[in-house]
Amino acid sequence: MSKGIQIAVGAAAVALLLGWYAATNLDRIGTFRYYQTLAEFRSASAGAAPARVHGYVAPGSIVRDVGAREIRFAVVNDPPHKGGAGRDALPVVYGSLETPDMFNEGAEVVIEGHLDAGSVFVADNVMAKCPSKFEAKRTEKASF
Amino acid sequence: MSDLGLYALRLALLAALAGVAAGVFAGRSGRGDLEQVARRAVWVTFAFSALAIGALAWCLATFDFQLKYVSEHCARGMTLPYRLAAVWGGQGGSLLLWVFISLIYASAAAWIHRRGQRLMPWVFAVLLLNATFFLALINFEANPFEKLPPGEVLSDGAGLNPLLQHPLMLIHPVMLYSGFTGFSVPFAFAAAALITGRLGDAWLRATRRWTLVPWFFLSIGILLGGRWAYEVLGWGGYWAWDPVENASFMPWLPATAYLHSVMIQEKRDMLKIWNLVLVGLTYALCLFGTFLTRSGVISSVHSFTNSGWFGYVFLAYVAVAISAYYALLFARRGRLRSTNRLESVVSREASFVLNNWVFMGILAVVFWGTLFPVLSEAARGVKIAVGPRFFNTMAAPLAALLLFLTGVGPLVAWRRASPASLRRQFALPAASGAAAAVAASAALGRSLSLYPLVFWSLGAFVVATIAQEYWRAVRARMRSAGESPLGALATLLRKNQRRYGGYVVHLGVVFILIGISGAAFNDERLENVKPGQKIRVDDYSLEYLTAKPIPQQHYGGAVARLALYRDGEPVAVMAPERRMYWLEQQPASIPSIRSTLREDLYVILTALEADGSATLKIHRNPLVNWIWIGGYTFIFGALLVLWPHPERKPRQAARSEAKPSAVHQARSEPTA
Repeated sequence: MSKGIQIAVGAAAVALLLGWYAATNLDRIGTFRYYQTLAEFRSASAGAAPARVHGYVAPGSIVRDVGAREIRFAVVNDPPHKGGAGRDALPVVYGSLETPDMFNEGAEVVIEGHLDAGSVFVADNVMAKCPSKFEAKRTEKASF
Repeated sequence: MSDLGLYALRLALLAALAGVAAGVFAGRSGRGDLEQVARRAVWVTFAFSALAIGALAWCLATFDFQLKYVSEHCARGMTLPYRLAAVWGGQGGSLLLWVFISLIYASAAAWIHRRGQRLMPWVFAVLLLNATFFLALINFEANPFEKLPPGEVLSDGAGLNPLLQHPLMLIHPVMLYSGFTGFSVPFAFAAAALITGRLGDAWLRATRRWTLVPWFFLSIGILLGGRWAYEVLGWGGYWAWDPVENASFMPWLPATAYLHSVMIQEKRDMLKIWNLVLVGLTYALCLFGTFLTRSGVISSVHSFTNSGWFGYVFLAYVAVAISAYYALLFARRGRLRSTNRLESVVSREASFVLNNWVFMGILAVVFWGTLFPVLSEAARGVKIAVGPRFFNTMAAPLAALLLFLTGVGPLVAWRRASPASLRRQFALPAASGAAAAVAASAALGRSLSLYPLVFWSLGAFVVATIAQEYWRAVRARMRSAGESPLGALATLLRKNQRRYGGYVVHLGVVFILIGISGAAFNDERLENVKPGQKIRVDDYSLEYLTAKPIPQQHYGGAVARLALYRDGEPVAVMAPERRMYWLEQQPASIPSIRSTLREDLYVILTALEADGSATLKIHRNPLVNWIWIGGYTFIFGALLVLWPHPERKPRQAARSEAKPSAVHQARSEPTA
């Protein structure tokens, strides 16, 4: 067997190993998640499954509860200037006092979390976007 | 002044076009006078681009708000250094900086290779074609000298993105672009060699040296980017696999792979096609990275621009340039085949080939992860995000393998390593690695997870190989030449700077990886405290003293004062800030960092609450400092490799004249 083939076999083995490693790990770390608009999320409502929902913070809805260490706000499908704010708002509870710099009344946000029994969205991550860019508050810990 | 800049841009484009034509005709006809025209066209284009960038800097420095660019990226409240940094704060200016730096390289190449190389006309043509494209973009699509309609001129501008108003941002983009654009020179040499079919030694020597310089700057740029993210973005980390970070990292991978595999070509005359592939890939990724950051195709922290057909033109250019290069390479493949074959799987060649594959593996991971959201959006209409975990999970084992090879590569003999030499070379390093693993397990017990153990053990292994190499070489010189230890060290670095400087670079990489592995022990918490209250973090305690408004400037906000105690002893006052940039209407959290060799304490003022309390985010990041120490070591090592000294040139000349001796040298190498 030529050295070239030996190396090719070795490389194939390494590649297979890595492929297997990727396949077994990616499910667990749940990297791939969809963005849905609030309307899509409403219509597709899949119970308490983890979701990533896009919307706008309803003006006047942000409450910082320092005692309970949580922030409550509501998310609406359309930006406030398009009207209809407040109707069909999704109440959100975020169990942290930390929000991205851009998080504000009317800000465009993506919330990660799930719907609880009382139809309140329990967010475990909130990302805010200023008109041209998303700024994630990167709380995800490095995995090694 | 802005008119001067505008005309300079137009003239630079004309000069570049003329140079392309002259270069092509000189290349086809072999006429020396036309080659001289092309060479001068490079210098003239450079002069006009320098004039243009100087004019833009002048307009920013003097608040010429007639210009759209100035009004969008500058404000009266900004100090002079940041006004000058605003030159590359937006689209047109960034591209101008790109062209300007690439022309510095081109001019230097035109000067250094001013005598007798048949490749040069084509090198000039390729370099100027590249400049032509960027100058056309600047002239017709993103002109920084575009004026506002008279009615819209205001007395103040919108200001620079506040996140960019940081000292590191004055140099980081310049370093990064010095890396990106510099790879155009090796690309041009390789392309010229492919066009002319002169695939001998000339292009190889030129490309290797011309790769080293931009690679050095790109490495610094990447490190500075991480440092900036750590000190400014206020999320506790230095690297988030953001598309723009990836864009800077991707070309670094094939460039580093090339710097390794080129040694095999020099010593064993193998892997020629592969090396040309890497040179092309590096430059393709530089262009592609510029495209990613400049076209706004992926919205991210750094992408300040959204543009329409600009992106398509850019992508088309990248595709055409790279396809042409690879088509040429394919056509010439027959003349590039090597007569030498790999003789053993246990040889330095094999370990370098494997090293190249690992680099390519990491590149594949980063490329896939970066483009996945775009591809999924294009194919299925939904944007799917790939988080940092994807990259970390996939890259960590590859990085470990690479670290292992860093130790193995230099110790294995060329061609075929005998079991006896393997034992002699690896006994001490392997023992060091094992000892480090045992010591770490004993010290940390159950809190030690797999990756830190692997990286520390491999790190000790690599450090031992480097120490052994140095020690053996120094001892040999002390015996043979009777030199003092320091004298022997100096001779080594002078006589074989690539090898012994390279080891220092490796040492820097070990430190950096050890610093990164500290992330496995990262700890963070969110605390709400009233004045006078204390927070305990292991053996530290933080007392919240008070918060004060920041003295009024172009931003306002609050700064919290915290007393830091360690084991009850006061050690520092920490002052994280929460800023509001008035003009830009953008808040920013500036962390306060207490850094030691063991760990960083990183405090962010998240909010001052209505009840007078403060909400603080506290990160404890072990070993982060080693990343910067490793960075300095890396830079020092790279400087050792790059440092010019008189003995180098004749040696190289001698080597290329007497080619068979390369193989002879290779045989005698491992015992050096």
